[in-house]
Amino acid sequence: MLKMNRRNFIKVSGGTAAAVATAPSLLKAMETELGGKDFSPVTYGERQAIPITCHFCNIQDGAIAFVENGRVVKLEGNPEHVSTRGRLCAKGNAGMWYSYDPDRILYPLKRVGARGEGKWKRITWDEALAEIAQKLDAAIKEDPNTVMLKYGRNRTGGAIDRFMHTLGSATLVNHTSVCESSKKIGMEPTWGPDIETPNFANSKYILNFGSNIYEAAYFHNPYSQRIVEGTAENKAKLVTFDVRLSNTAGRSDEWIPVFPGTDGAVALAIGHVILRDDLQDSDFINTWTNVTVQELKAHYQSYTPEWAEKLSGVPAATIERIAREFATTKPATTYTYRGPAKHLYGSYNEKACMMLPIMTGNIETRGGYCMPRGMGWPQPEPQPPKPAKPSYLSHPDEYPLAGHKVSHLTPFWIAEGKQKINVYFTYQDNPVYTNPGAQAVWGKLFRDEKLIPFYVSMSPFMGEETALADIILPDCPYLERWEPESMPNSLWPWLGIRQPVIKPLGEARENRIILRDIIHKLDPDGSRGMKQYWNFKDGEDYLRHHFDNVPGLKEAGGLDFLKKHGVWPIYGKLDPATGKIVDKTGREIVPEYGLHKKEIPEAEMAGTTIEANGVIMKNGKAIGVQRNGKNHVGFPTGNRLINVRVDQWAEYGFNPMPTFKRIPWHETMKDDELVLTTYKINVHKQSRSAAVKWLAEIMHSNPVWMNTVTGEKMGVKTGDLVRVESAVGHLVTKAYVFEGIHPKVVAIPTAFGHWEYGRLATLKLKEKGGAFGAQDDPDLKNVWWDDKGVHPNAIIPVVADPIGGSQGWYDTVVKVTKAGPNDKYGDVKGDWDKHQEAFKETLRYAYTGDLHRKMHPEMSAWVGPESVKHKPAGGH
Amino acid sequence: MQALVSVPVHGEASFDPQELKEDLLARAGIYRLLSSAFGGEPGAGFLAGLRQPEALAGLAEMGISLDRDFTDPPLDQLEETLACEYASLFASPGGCLPVESARLTGRTQQEPYYEVQADYRRLGFEVRPGRFAIFHDHLGVELAFLAELLGQSAAAAEAAEGRELRRLEKEIKRFWSLHLGRWARGFGRLVERAADHSFYREMARLLLGFAEDEISRLGIRVEDADGSIVEQPQPETEGLTCGGNPMSHDPVASEVPVSLMTG
Repeated sequence: MLKMNRRNFIKVSGGTAAAVATAPSLLKAMETELGGKDFSPVTYGERQAIPITCHFCNIQDGAIAFVENGRVVKLEGNPEHVSTRGRLCAKGNAGMWYSYDPDRILYPLKRVGARGEGKWKRITWDEALAEIAQKLDAAIKEDPNTVMLKYGRNRTGGAIDRFMHTLGSATLVNHTSVCESSKKIGMEPTWGPDIETPNFANSKYILNFGSNIYEAAYFHNPYSQRIVEGTAENKAKLVTFDVRLSNTAGRSDEWIPVFPGTDGAVALAIGHVILRDDLQDSDFINTWTNVTVQELKAHYQSYTPEWAEKLSGVPAATIERIAREFATTKPATTYTYRGPAKHLYGSYNEKACMMLPIMTGNIETRGGYCMPRGMGWPQPEPQPPKPAKPSYLSHPDEYPLAGHKVSHLTPFWIAEGKQKINVYFTYQDNPVYTNPGAQAVWGKLFRDEKLIPFYVSMSPFMGEETALADIILPDCPYLERWEPESMPNSLWPWLGIRQPVIKPLGEARENRIILRDIIHKLDPDGSRGMKQYWNFKDGEDYLRHHFDNVPGLKEAGGLDFLKKHGVWPIYGKLDPATGKIVDKTGREIVPEYGLHKKEIPEAEMAGTTIEANGVIMKNGKAIGVQRNGKNHVGFPTGNRLINVRVDQWAEYGFNPMPTFKRIPWHETMKDDELVLTTYKINVHKQSRSAAVKWLAEIMHSNPVWMNTVTGEKMGVKTGDLVRVESAVGHLVTKAYVFEGIHPKVVAIPTAFGHWEYGRLATLKLKEKGGAFGAQDDPDLKNVWWDDKGVHPNAIIPVVADPIGGSQGWYDTVVKVTKAGPNDKYGDVKGDWDKHQEAFKETLRYAYTGDLHRKMHPEMSAWVGPESVKHKPAGGH
Repeated sequence: MQALVSVPVHGEASFDPQELKEDLLARAGIYRLLSSAFGGEPGAGFLAGLRQPEALAGLAEMGISLDRDFTDPPLDQLEETLACEYASLFASPGGCLPVESARLTGRTQQEPYYEVQADYRRLGFEVRPGRFAIFHDHLGVELAFLAELLGQSAAAAEAAEGRELRRLEKEIKRFWSLHLGRWARGFGRLVERAADHSFYREMARLLLGFAEDEISRLGIRVEDADGSIVEQPQPETEGLTCGGNPMSHDPVASEVPVSLMTG
């Protein structure tokens, strides 16, 4: 007689679970359609599917645009894309509204009133190009470097650089210092690449420092998929250090609140425990880094958990536990984004964090911390030579290690007269909104016609920066452009394209065509030697130069293959049961690990010499590392090793070893002072999405987050108006009081509070005596919200990491009080003079500044700034 | 506003060909005038013609009164002023695009764009690029299209081709019913209020009056939908929510959806 009872069921079920797991499942959840096809709900006809690479934000997901009767009606993920595997985020789904925005700029416009007055005249392309060419001609004759181009998002694949090189100007400035440059600079000299590609799906332990990877950080769509796989299928533990309960922190196994800017201290203390308890991977350290285990142990000795607790607020016991868990769970990885990096000494923080996978040997392993895999493409020939003269604004003397530039200090340097500007171009850049100081700093710069005599914006939208231009050239949104793409957003390298889904609307032209047309106007007969570099018919022709000769792709069909599939290679098919890419046998595809261990072919070893430390030299260059008789390619650094000790940093008086520097003004904070941080959310990007109606409806306001304890102290509750005041300005907004934020921190998301960018972003039309009103506008008729939010950047002062050049977004000390009788919601005031004082203050931390030595007593042997000669740094 | 022409007679060949031709051409002339006014920045020739005494007198007789800001400035200055006004009203962000898709759907190049394009093609027309590219469902193009159909009607009238006249009248009615009639009047009202310059204010008045007259003359009934998308129910927006619905309502009836309670 069988004993059928609950107790036995549990016992048998538990005991046989492992065995059952190996047997094939006979049922699965039903998937009706994997994607790649779509049908009209009216005619049932199949819609035209055009593969593209999404460019709503910069994750570069593989996508498909569905076109019906000439209109883009739907966007979804491309199931052939190895990284994003058929999934597209909310932003990507809404991308077609960029093209069809009624506030889009469709014609060249010339300013007819004062800058920023909003008065324009429509002019022809020929008139616009003629005027620009005339100004460029004069500027180049004076000094090519007086032509400046600053871009925010540049996915032209080299066209922007080609343009500036054609003009002979080195004054090409990016946006990276307000993005993640100190993360890049923290990593590059250490192991080569500027970012990691963790193998989340196969990891067992994920230590996340300050990255909101589930909704906004690089590369949130493909990575959030893999983290979910890692945590749900592989039972990985996800631990997040963050100042606030982000959606990522909320979905982690543990959220550990940390005081802003102290992630590095926590990471060093975790390293201390690992080294103290001999939990490190000594073999990896001794084989692949430029330090020994003993050196590391000695260096980490002072970074105790108790020391870190005092700085970060993270209990020493928690640090001890996390350290042991991380070191003893294999494989494990860390991931970081802006949290650690966007501080005065963000590069040190990043370096401290990346030391954890290094010292535990989790580098380039399955489930570990891997190098990014990307692909390149050749540039069309002939190519213009690089500019003859360096540009101060591109490589400022005070920041020789900031290979990704220090663009957020540009207005102050121009105002100081460090470099004269005659013609200023912007491309997909909105510093008047996105940079520290915002309108108080960049708005002032662009309004000053002495500092910026002629300003051309290449933009499809009237952003805060474009509204101040002299001439606007209508650029195309991403569904109307040709662009080459590759992003290391999974462990499988790929090449992709963006191709026009519809023809440019109005008189919009894609950027590479605009640039070509400017050059052709400047050098119509080719006699100036410029036109030869812009000898292509259209965007497709340009891309053929890129893609028709890439080995492998060429054989597959070159650009024609990409036009059909959107991406190359196609690694396999999307499995409807798992959502993963499988090969012909039905097995999930496996990436290549251990790139550094690849062996150098025997033929390439001819003519090499081996140095005492095993580095293989050829023609004066390190090409690999010899270990145990094998010749490995090593890491893509100057010496093919992981440089735990970055000697170049020491040249400038910075600590070459992993270290932490507390932000001095955080040490002296008073009880009623808080740190203001900002963040991004899942349905908006930094500045260019507030006019996208689907997204604006989902989220359109941004109250300041405040901890319950902090709110109680001030008598502030959710919905109350509060005044947030920093050293450079103040704003008035609503409070959202809850427990999901560090008590010493307040946080305001960006993407809101626009004063330009169209009717949905600003919630108003041109107010001509009330003549234009919501009642007349079909969009605004359906807008049920009346709160557009408050933008915080005007009250955030500039801070520059003296190593990486990054803006210290999360370093601002503020006082928050209940709003006074004269305060009203939406007030924002920043002061140029005070911002300028902040600029001068941050320069004191540069290697040439008076506070540099004070911050680095351990570098007392350093001779001083006069001991080094500035040389333009690397980076890209 | 006075009727400009007599209502076409529907019976086979029961009309005076010459009189009808003149009526149709007169109406086509008003379409062309409005098309020129809204289709792009007015050129010097167009403005000079409009400033001729007989033109101003004709407009005044109709009730269109152009102010001194139109009649007095030097021609080149007027041209420049109106170019800026045109850009501000119709061709730069924040203005009101004179485009059917934008007015009716809140976005450019939607269904109306492709529908009118199909109409143009079916009847043997294509949009000619002018100084600037123009949407197919731009007010200027839609008006020009009807002017062309009226021109063809006039030729048919002269040739006493009743069947052709009826066919063209059907096309014109259909186009008003499906397109212009759905937005031209509301748009005219908006521009009349929004314009700074008397030229656009008065052209907007003419657009509105002429549209009403044409709709009446053609005997069609079409609601103007310009800027009048059905309003969505206004949700309660006071207070901030996070993971729940703190909106106050009777807790006893909390199982009843709020939408039903307020309905």
